[in-house]
Amino acid sequence: MKNIAFGQYYPARSPLHAMDARVKVILSILYIVAAFLCKNVLSFGALLLSALFLLVLSRIPPRIVLRALRPLFFIMLFTAALNLFFATGSTVLFSFWRITVYVEGLYSAVFMLVRIIVLIFGTSIFLTYTTTPIALTDAIESLLSPLRIFKIPVHEFAMMMSIALRFIPTLMEETNKIMNAQKARGVDFSSGGLLKRAKALVPILIPLIVSSFRRADELAMAMECRCYRGGKGRTKMTVPHLHLGDFVALALMVAFGAGLIYLNHLGYGYTM
Amino acid sequence: MAVLSLEHVTYIYGEGTPFEIRALDDVTLTVREGSVTGIIGHTGSGKSTLVQLFNGLEKPMSGRVLLDGKDIWADPKKMRDIRFRVGLVMQYPEYQLFEETIRADIAFGPRNMGLDETEIAYRVDEAASFVGLDRELLDKSPFDLSGGQKRRAAIAGIMAMRPEVLVLDEPAAGLDPRGRDTILEGIRTYGKRTGATVIIVSHSMEDMAAYCDDIIVMEHAKVALSGTRDEVFANAERLTAVGLDVPQITHLMLLLKERGLAVPDGIYTVEAATAALRRLFS
Repeated sequence: MKNIAFGQYYPARSPLHAMDARVKVILSILYIVAAFLCKNVLSFGALLLSALFLLVLSRIPPRIVLRALRPLFFIMLFTAALNLFFATGSTVLFSFWRITVYVEGLYSAVFMLVRIIVLIFGTSIFLTYTTTPIALTDAIESLLSPLRIFKIPVHEFAMMMSIALRFIPTLMEETNKIMNAQKARGVDFSSGGLLKRAKALVPILIPLIVSSFRRADELAMAMECRCYRGGKGRTKMTVPHLHLGDFVALALMVAFGAGLIYLNHLGYGYTM
Repeated sequence: MAVLSLEHVTYIYGEGTPFEIRALDDVTLTVREGSVTGIIGHTGSGKSTLVQLFNGLEKPMSGRVLLDGKDIWADPKKMRDIRFRVGLVMQYPEYQLFEETIRADIAFGPRNMGLDETEIAYRVDEAASFVGLDRELLDKSPFDLSGGQKRRAAIAGIMAMRPEVLVLDEPAAGLDPRGRDTILEGIRTYGKRTGATVIIVSHSMEDMAAYCDDIIVMEHAKVALSGTRDEVFANAERLTAVGLDVPQITHLMLLLKERGLAVPDGIYTVEAATAALRRLFS
């Protein structure tokens, strides 16, 4: 319960923390694109180096970012195994029984692994670790605001998102409290069959749902009391500004993408 | 005899993260068997962490928690038995009610203990009478009860397990004076009838003065003061220094003393104060 990697903003002073959240959202999208541009050893190598560079730049302890990889460990393993054993090519690395492993398979397994790791690293460093959830929803609202022309309630979506994010820790705390209270009455979550364990959740879920409704009601009331009436004419407490650093970062990212394409064309070794 | 004791217990939240908080720092304390012991302190002084250590909901980073002289973490598989022996009523317990009727909810704990139905029925009635819940209320849904009634039902749910040690975290928080007195009175009755030890966490000195035999004062994750009610209130100056409100009558006595009247220390009831002043002026 305590170690769920969600919205784990890590407070620190770094160029990445100081960057405009909107720019960080765009940068992480570009970074994902860049990860899919890579085709050979050189460009994947550059990609891996860039992830390390981001890690150093963010001043977040590597241990903490590595924690974000843990929940996806099996997906990574599965992807690598799939590529390793099922990719066909021309050069046989080794074969035993009915399985033949090709050099191409090994390459693509390693490439996929690097790609997944870098994707997680990039997005979590840009978005979750260096950006507060509030800044992130503000950024998304601002980036999506052109959609207002099509009568899409962008502000309302952003508000719903920030409320949802805001209440995740509260609900986790509440869950923890109720679990403790029911444990004190002898509920056993960790033994018995599937049915027994599922039944043990009832005393947790019912109070949790009841209190979520109560909270929602109270929040709606509190917002009405402060005359909230949606996004129309609403001003912001902190108005974001773009700085020189933001433009530099965007330029660097575009240059990085171009560099990857150039490296792909050098035609070194296996190409995906 | 000490029924429950802590030896050099330290508890840290979020150890190794930038949000690390030291909730308990080398705490050693004992709770006398059969006593009503009050734990008092400001918010953030470590009270709520302390109660969760008593029944093994949290494990201390270092130090031991002893029940009847035995470490409760000696065999973590037996933790459920410890939790039946040390009953814990958490803060705002009314939010944990989940059954369709109050009766079923109070029976939840005893049922988990594996008692037979006649014993469960007996215990539900007994627990309801301790907290003063009317019999008609037992077959109602928790949603049809008032806040104070729900609180009493939740406390009865723990009492029905008949724990040797009953621990309550702020049992009277947010209730009106009459509701508060009913609940605290019911808790005292439970202790007297069953011979159980009762531990009440509170930040109200008035309640402590009225209901507790022993008092433990927490400050900044440490025990600042502990002893019998008389011993603790004799240190009224120290209590004020910690930033806790002493009972109003104690405060008055302190002010009289400052102005040069020879009133004795450790007065926390109006009756005692009247007697002392009578003696002084007769």
